[in-house]
Amino acid sequence: MDCAVAMNLEAAAMPESQEPLLEVCDLSLRRGQAVVLDGVNLALHPGETLGLIGESGAGKSTLALALIGLLRAPEVQLAGSMRFRGTELTRLREADYRRLRGNKIGLIFQDATAALNPCFTVGEQIAEPLKRHLGLSKWDRRERAAELMHSVGIPEPRLRLDAYPHELSGGMQQRVMIAIALACNPELLLADEPTSALDVTIQAQIMELILDRVRALNSSAIFVLHDLALGAQVCDRIAVMYAGQIVEEGPSDRVLASPLHPYTRGLKSCVVELGSRTLVPIPGQVPPLNAMPAGCRFAPRCPKAKAICGEQRPQAEIRDGRQVACWFID
Amino acid sequence: MFQAASAKLAQTLLVLLIVSAASFAFLKLAPGDPVSIMLGSDYSKSSYDQLTHELGLDQPVVFQYGNWLADFVRGDWGTSYITNQNIFELAVLQALPVTLTLAALSLLIALVIGIPAGVLAALYRNSWVDVLATTLAIGGNAFPSFYLGILLIWLFGVDLGWFPVLGFVAPWEDFWQGLWHLTLPAVTLGAWYVGLIARITRSSLLEVLGQPYILAAKARGEPAWRVVWVHGMRNVLMPLVTVIGLQLGGMLRGAVMTEVVFALPGLGMMVTTAVLNREYIVVQAGIMLTGLLFVAVNLAVDQTYQFLDPRLRRR
Repeated sequence: MDCAVAMNLEAAAMPESQEPLLEVCDLSLRRGQAVVLDGVNLALHPGETLGLIGESGAGKSTLALALIGLLRAPEVQLAGSMRFRGTELTRLREADYRRLRGNKIGLIFQDATAALNPCFTVGEQIAEPLKRHLGLSKWDRRERAAELMHSVGIPEPRLRLDAYPHELSGGMQQRVMIAIALACNPELLLADEPTSALDVTIQAQIMELILDRVRALNSSAIFVLHDLALGAQVCDRIAVMYAGQIVEEGPSDRVLASPLHPYTRGLKSCVVELGSRTLVPIPGQVPPLNAMPAGCRFAPRCPKAKAICGEQRPQAEIRDGRQVACWFID
Repeated sequence: MFQAASAKLAQTLLVLLIVSAASFAFLKLAPGDPVSIMLGSDYSKSSYDQLTHELGLDQPVVFQYGNWLADFVRGDWGTSYITNQNIFELAVLQALPVTLTLAALSLLIALVIGIPAGVLAALYRNSWVDVLATTLAIGGNAFPSFYLGILLIWLFGVDLGWFPVLGFVAPWEDFWQGLWHLTLPAVTLGAWYVGLIARITRSSLLEVLGQPYILAAKARGEPAWRVVWVHGMRNVLMPLVTVIGLQLGGMLRGAVMTEVVFALPGLGMMVTTAVLNREYIVVQAGIMLTGLLFVAVNLAVDQTYQFLDPRLRRR
């Protein structure tokens, strides 16, 4: 699918037809010989939330890191385009990209315990983007850091400013991480599995907190998740990824209610529902990156695969207000 | 906190006690009878017995050890048979400052060269910079310091005449003269340390740079130099200090060689001369002083840990 198609689709979905905040066109990312991302198309409008759903190794986190510019040449080879507020990110100079990171684009990591530097206080780490991007004075940084900690629900923020990460619980550490990502009121927040390293009891709290802050700041957000149902619940739109490609993308309710791509259907039937006794796993595994099939990457595991699936890659088509890449859409 | 500190103190005292017992035993086991040496060739039985009594040598060994230890703690370390010099003065006031100055200067040179070399090697891993730094590091580590010292004397001292070949001028008396005299010895001793520091910096930094918090610092828009030198190096200091502390033994061993080659009147020179003259009492003072230095450095390293790693701090 080319970008014109994606734009038409977005225009259909969003009647007010705003300029998209983020527009990814035919983005490919290669690491040596391995094609990690293959022809990714996405559009995200201001205030919108998008869920990237897929198994481990589908390229969700890679896409997030590529968007914030932490995976660039010469480490990897990028092709295609990523436009953020009209700026072409793939050609952006490193110094200019650095001005976006932590400022206009924030990133929440999966494991806050590992993503916070053990040698610096949480106050120092929250204050860093405030100094770097907003140029606040030392006193103002401290004040603002305390406000941010309060806004992410950390009790007694003034006492905790000088705490080291190991002195806080996992949930509190993730709240600090969120405060860092939101410090400069980013227009785009990327959240890479923000709750999967946490206890089940606080997962919902943290998810609720992120959504709440994103709405309060009127930011857009991309959530990297592996849970289709959770994604559909918290995001406006959903993009299902498989082996570096987006196989189905559209409004959450429609994707979850009537998935069109066989892989999305497989993911849906993997979810154990209360009262349901059947659990249908998807047979097989994601093929290794150096041995991807020439045609549809899902073909070897697909129950509906025919000869053409193994030979030619299906182009994304618009059906029912979403893009689907499959030869046999019902 | 108090419990940990007192346990540490008890441990330290035990180590010092063992060192003192070993060095006392060393004197006892040394060949030769001090009384007959002091009396000369011709003496009577009564004068022999009298001197033995005066020196306390007729008492049980445990009492002798106790007396010796008490004298040692008071700073009464005896007198050299040869120069008639007070050994405390000789060892602590004269030799020790020379060795400490040499060691400190060598460490400074090693840090100033070794850390940037290690960082460059880590940042440009597997490039020619890395190969060069690693080769120099291993070379410096493998090259015997006595040979390097002679080479440096030959090249910079004799051939080019840039630096003095021998001798020591105290930097606290004439700073630039002292530094000038200490340059070649400090480079000789430091070369060995450069390799060690560069290797540890390289491997620790490579490990640290792979950590998620480094990626997180980049995601906050931190510039590359700050990511490496602040976020990265802050976490490298811990293993670096550990290795520097552990390798102080190697430093003192190297100092002996260096002091002999460059004729510096330090601890190594003092002990070497004493061994050649069979002045066991001076060797003993050298052993005790070295033991004390070790214990002091270990204590200092332990204290530094708490300063460097917030996770080890007790509140």
